[in-house]
Amino acid sequence: MKIRSKHFVLSLVALVLGFMVAFSYSLTKKNTDRHKLSDQSWDREYSLRKKLVEEEEKTRKLQKELSYRQAEITRVENRFSSSEQNFAAITKEAEKYRMFLGKVKVKGEGVRVTLEDGEYRSDSDVNSYIVHEQHIFKVVNELFISGAEAVAINGQRFTRRSYIVCNGPVITVDGSQHPAPFEITAIGDPDVLEAGLNINGGVKDQLVNENITFSIEKEDELEMNPALGGS
Amino acid sequence: MWLPIFGLIVGVFLGLMTDIRIPAEYSNYLSIAVLAALDTLIGGMRAYLQNLYDERVFVSGFFFNIILAASLAFLGVHLGVDLYLAAVFAFGVRLFQNIAVIRRILLAKWSKSPEKSL
Repeated sequence: MKIRSKHFVLSLVALVLGFMVAFSYSLTKKNTDRHKLSDQSWDREYSLRKKLVEEEEKTRKLQKELSYRQAEITRVENRFSSSEQNFAAITKEAEKYRMFLGKVKVKGEGVRVTLEDGEYRSDSDVNSYIVHEQHIFKVVNELFISGAEAVAINGQRFTRRSYIVCNGPVITVDGSQHPAPFEITAIGDPDVLEAGLNINGGVKDQLVNENITFSIEKEDELEMNPALGGS
Repeated sequence: MWLPIFGLIVGVFLGLMTDIRIPAEYSNYLSIAVLAALDTLIGGMRAYLQNLYDERVFVSGFFFNIILAASLAFLGVHLGVDLYLAAVFAFGVRLFQNIAVIRRILLAKWSKSPEKSL
């Protein structure tokens, strides 16, 4: 009995010892496992961090490239806009030249010159009482010289390529015939145009000398249709 | 004779199977307790070999030392002094001393017994 109780106590001691040792062992093992795990996670964190840094580097590079490209785009756009401005200027200029060429309808202040055949007196030649093409030439040339921007005869636009032919009692302007009276309208500075025609010994005096009824009036608003046909 | 060994095996088995998680700061106590248990065990073995073995002293010393070591470590943690180092030192020194004594006794026995047998 005594031996038994001794053995019992000893086995209890052995049980406690074994339990404690084994428990401590397993606990330490778990802890080291955890350490290993944290090592792994540290490695992972390190690699992720490295990746992040790489990505940031890449992003920075791309941003640099982006800003460079944007600058390029701005440059190209500036070029475009300047060329567009050029285009606009060219268009304006073309419009102006078209006006001069009589290709478009124009509007503005100017003068109206009316030439009528003089009152016929039976004692002389009929020819010296009617308006001839050279009279119209004179008027038109004087108007152009005085800075007229557009000229029309009886409403027909007269361009720098037009021609006038005397054809009996009528004259032909660019193929269409016009009877007297001839109404020559010109767009330009009315004062200058009027002064140019009224100059002493000028067109008006010459025409009046040749028995033509000459009248001139300033117009605030004249409108001219474009010349038909031709190039 | 087999009962203590059986008890040891059961204890080891239980210890391995137990899945209690103790916070890391309490593992110190456990190691101290293990050290105290080992010390007591070795001391008991020495006493037995010196014919000074007393079961009551052994068993009470075994549990009392464990509790004392653990409480010392506890106190040390709460005072901010590493008192468990004192326990480790004391137990370690005693462990080595006891093992040395056991070795000498065993050596003496071994050297004696061949003479006897001869």
